[in-house]
Amino acid sequence: MTTQKEAAIIPLYRESFPDFARMVRSMGGTLEQAKDSFHDALLIYLEKEKAGNLHLHSSPKAYLLGTAKICWLHTRDNGSIQPLAHEFEAADPEAPTPETSDTEERERSLLESLQRSGKKCLELLKAFYYDHCSMQDIASKFGFKGRRSATVQKYKCLEKVREEIKKTQIYAH
Amino acid sequence: MRTELDEARQIDRYLFQQLNQDDTREFEARLLLNETLAAKVDAQRTAHRLIRLYARTQERNRLQEIYRNLLTEKNFADQLKNIFA
Repeated sequence: MTTQKEAAIIPLYRESFPDFARMVRSMGGTLEQAKDSFHDALLIYLEKEKAGNLHLHSSPKAYLLGTAKICWLHTRDNGSIQPLAHEFEAADPEAPTPETSDTEERERSLLESLQRSGKKCLELLKAFYYDHCSMQDIASKFGFKGRRSATVQKYKCLEKVREEIKKTQIYAH
Repeated sequence: MRTELDEARQIDRYLFQQLNQDDTREFEARLLLNETLAAKVDAQRTAHRLIRLYARTQERNRLQEIYRNLLTEKNFADQLKNIFA
């Protein structure tokens, strides 16, 4: 769900990325690396904004450049360690990132299967859990009669995903 | 249906650490005694992770699209070209 706030990301991107790219270049990095770290920082920014946890003490550009620099330094110094994962763990300690690439691989495979069998359900669950939309907004977006119908449908979708997870035994790890 | 909805909501609140201390203790005691509930909690935790993975993949694609579009703007593209010249 694209909001006005999200649309504002384009001018922020346009204004901030060249400055960040210059900083990465001065530290010996490439354009591709600069872009990847910048996107990590933008994801953190957007997720915090959606969750209502974005508390800016400076301009959005300054916040973004600071976060992107941290992401870049983590990637440069730790290779495969993903700063974004740490960021999310801090915000959501009950949802740790996968511990092994094996688990991650199985989760990706399960997600692909869920996308084939029920993309609408995933979209609905994304709207609720990731975009933090209200049930009333979800009802409007997905064409349900009201928030009660949307709530029931959300539960059915969650149950469907949980059942698929149990079938694959993925939750046991 | 009401009971199932309430249970799923309570699991969410437990996983997002939104239950108070007493309710958390009580819920964890139920988890020890009820394997079915424990399995649901594990599955719901994984579901949260899968939804986040799905959402982030979409968001990354969207950011990639924004980047591609900005590269068609001469001023933006020239700045990057000069930085990495």
